[in-house]
Amino acid sequence: MISEYAQPIRKGVIAAGLATALATVFTASIALGSQAVQPLESLQTLFGTGSETVYVIVSTVRLPRAVAALLGGAALGVSGAILQTLFRNPMADPYILGVSSGSVLAIGLALLAGPLLGLASYTPPSLYTAAFLGALTVTLMMMSLSGAVRSITTVLVVGVMIGYLSYAATSILMVLADIERIRAFTYWVLGSFSGSRWSLLTPAIPALAASIIFSTLLAKQLNALLLGEEYARSMGMHLGPVRVLAVATAAVPVSIVTTIAGPIGFIGLSAPYLARQLTQTSDHYTIIPFSALAGALLTATADLTARMLLRPAELPVTAVTALFGGPLVIYLLLKGRGVFH
Amino acid sequence: MIRADGVSAGYRGQRVVEDVMLHIEAGEFTAVIGPNASGKTTLLKTLAGLLKPLDGVVYIDGRRVPDMDVGELARSVGVVLTGDVRPGLLTVSDVVALGRYPYSGVMGRLKPADKAEVMSALEDVGIPHLADKPYNTLSDGQRQKVMIARALAQKPKALLLDEPVTYLDPRARVETLITLRRICRQRRIAVVASLHEVELALRLADRLLVVSAGHVDVYSSPEEFIEVGGPEELYEFKDDAGFCGETLTVEVRVKDPADFKVFVIAGAGRGAPVYRMLTRLNITFATGVLHEGDLDYVVAKSLSGDVIAEKAFHIIRPEKLEQAVVKAADADAVIYVSHPVGLVNAANTVLAEKLVVMGLPTIEYGDAGLKGCWRRVGSLKELADFLKQLEQSTAVRRGFVVV
Repeated sequence: MISEYAQPIRKGVIAAGLATALATVFTASIALGSQAVQPLESLQTLFGTGSETVYVIVSTVRLPRAVAALLGGAALGVSGAILQTLFRNPMADPYILGVSSGSVLAIGLALLAGPLLGLASYTPPSLYTAAFLGALTVTLMMMSLSGAVRSITTVLVVGVMIGYLSYAATSILMVLADIERIRAFTYWVLGSFSGSRWSLLTPAIPALAASIIFSTLLAKQLNALLLGEEYARSMGMHLGPVRVLAVATAAVPVSIVTTIAGPIGFIGLSAPYLARQLTQTSDHYTIIPFSALAGALLTATADLTARMLLRPAELPVTAVTALFGGPLVIYLLLKGRGVFH
Repeated sequence: MIRADGVSAGYRGQRVVEDVMLHIEAGEFTAVIGPNASGKTTLLKTLAGLLKPLDGVVYIDGRRVPDMDVGELARSVGVVLTGDVRPGLLTVSDVVALGRYPYSGVMGRLKPADKAEVMSALEDVGIPHLADKPYNTLSDGQRQKVMIARALAQKPKALLLDEPVTYLDPRARVETLITLRRICRQRRIAVVASLHEVELALRLADRLLVVSAGHVDVYSSPEEFIEVGGPEELYEFKDDAGFCGETLTVEVRVKDPADFKVFVIAGAGRGAPVYRMLTRLNITFATGVLHEGDLDYVVAKSLSGDVIAEKAFHIIRPEKLEQAVVKAADADAVIYVSHPVGLVNAANTVLAEKLVVMGLPTIEYGDAGLKGCWRRVGSLKELADFLKQLEQSTAVRRGFVVV
C-alpha cells in the first residue's frame, strides 16, 4: 500500500533472491531423480530438442510434479497469509479451516463406502473427485458460517472440530479397512506430490494461478483487518462479504492442492512468517506475493528433498517441511521481535 | 453535526440507554462521562453507526445513518476504540493511511491527495516525525495519537473516541485532550470522547453528556453540571470522598475519625497543605477562624473539617473567636500555621495567644514567633512526626485514665 516507506530496493533484492533460488530448485527437481539428467539437457527437452527417454521422464513425471509443488506451495503460502490476518491468529494455517480434513474424510468414506455399495474397486479419478468434493463441502460450510457468525473465532473452532472429526473417522477406517486398500490412501494422507499428473494439473493450474492473483485484490481489506474487525468496519469495510471472500480465496486453492497432494502442513503457517520477517512489513500488498514466493520455494525444496534424501524411498513432504522448516521459523521468531501478524 | 432523535441503544434484548435526544454542533468538544458500565461505549458506538439503535434515528450532518452505506458512513464518522491494536509490522504512516480506505479504489493505491491527507493528519496530532517508525515501537501516548490521526485521515465530520486517554500518563492525557480540542476547532468537526477523567473533562469540554442509570443528560457546559451538584451525585461519593466544586477536584476524607483531634489556626491558603496532611494521617481536625472564600476555607470544607468561619473581608467578631476557643479547648493539640495577618484576621493572633495561656499544647508551624508556644516545627514532615509521637503518648495517657 505504501511501498515508498517500505524500502523498495530491499524488497526487490529479496524477491530476486527468492526467485533465483526457486528457479534453481525447479531446475534441480527436473534434473535430479533415479535417472539423472543434465540441467541443460532437461531444459532442452522442455523445448523439444532433447532425447526421447529423457523427454518422457521429464515431461510426464518430473515437470508436472515440480509445477505442482511450486504452484501448490505458492497457493498454500498465500492461503496462510490470508487466514492469519482474517483470524488475527498466528496459529492459523490452511489446516485450521478443516478443508484438508474434509478431503481426508471424503476419501476415507469413499474407500470405506465403495465396497459397501458394491463397488469392487476404486479408481484414482473417483478418489480425486471425492477429495475435491470433501474439501469443497467444508469450504462452502466455512464460507456461509463466516458470513453469519458474530465472532470469526467461531469459524476457527468449527474448523478445528472438523479436523478432529476427520481424525476420528480416519482412524476408525484404518482399523476396519484392509491393508491393501488403504495403502495408497495412507500415502496420500501423509502428503506427497508424487501423484501429480497433467490430467490433474490441467484444470488445477489456472485455478491456482487465478486464486493467487485474486488474493492480491483482498490486500486492501486484509490491511484494514490488521486493526481488527471493528476498526475495519468503521473505515468502510463490508465485514460479512469480505469474510466470505477471504475464506473462499484461502480455501479453494487448498481444496485443489489437497486433492493433488494430500494435506500438506506447515507451508501455510511458515511462508507468511518468512515473508514478514524478510520484508519487515505486514502490508499485504507485500506479504501476499512474498508468501507465494516463500511457499513455492519451501514446498519445491521439500519435495526435492523428500524424494532425494533416502533414495529410492520417498518421504512424506510434510515430514521434510516440518523437519527443516520448523527450526528455521523458530530461529527467525526468536531472532526477530516475535511478530505474529 | 450529530443528532440523536429518541435513540435507545443496547444489544439484543438489553436496553442500555433509552430515549436519547441530543444535538452536537461542529467545532464542539463533547465529553461523555459516567460510571463504569453505565453505557458510554454503547452510546458512542450507536452514535458512530457501529451499533444499530434499538429505537430512534441517528443523523450525521443531516443524513440519516440507516440511509448511509458503510463507505459514506466511514467518510462521515471516524472512531477510536478502546483496547490495544496490534498491526504487526506496519509503520505509523501505514496505519494512518488505512484511514484512506473509504476513498481508495479496489487496489487501495494512494494518490498524492491521499498522501497529503495522511501527512496533514499526522501534523494535526503533532507526530509527523514518527511517520516511518514501526507502530509497535511507540509509547501508549504516541499510539493513541496514531489512531486519532488514522481516524482524521478519513476526513470525518464527527470524531468519536472511547476512553482515548485512560491508559496514558498525566502528561499524555492532557496533551491528547488539548490536541483533540484544537482539532475540533481547526477542522470544524464534532469531537465526542468518553472520559473517566472527570476533572479534565470539566476543564476542557464544551458540552457534557452524562450517562447514568440508563439515561443521558445533556449539559450545555461543565459549569451547568457543577452548579446542580452533578459530579457528587453521579459518582455517588459516600462520606469517605467528595467532589470540590471550587477546585474541581476529588477530595478524600477521614473515614474513621481517630480520637486524636487537633485545632488548626490558619488562613490565606497556608492551612490547605496541613489539612490534606492531617486527613492523610487520619487525624480529625477543626479549624478557624477562616474567611469564607479563602482557599483554606474551601479545602477544609471539602475535607469535611469542622470550620469556624467569618464572612469574607469582615473583621472577625468576638462571638466567632469565642466559638473557636470552645472548639480548640476540646482538641488534643493546637497547630498555629504561620499566615499573613492583617486588619480583618488580627483576631487569629489573639486566639493563638489565648490558647497558649489556657495551657493547650500549641505547635507553631512556620516562623510567626508565637510567644509561649510548646513546640516550633519548620516543615510538614517535622510536624507529621511530632503529631504521630503526640498521638501515641495521648493514647497512652488515655489508657491510664481508663485503668
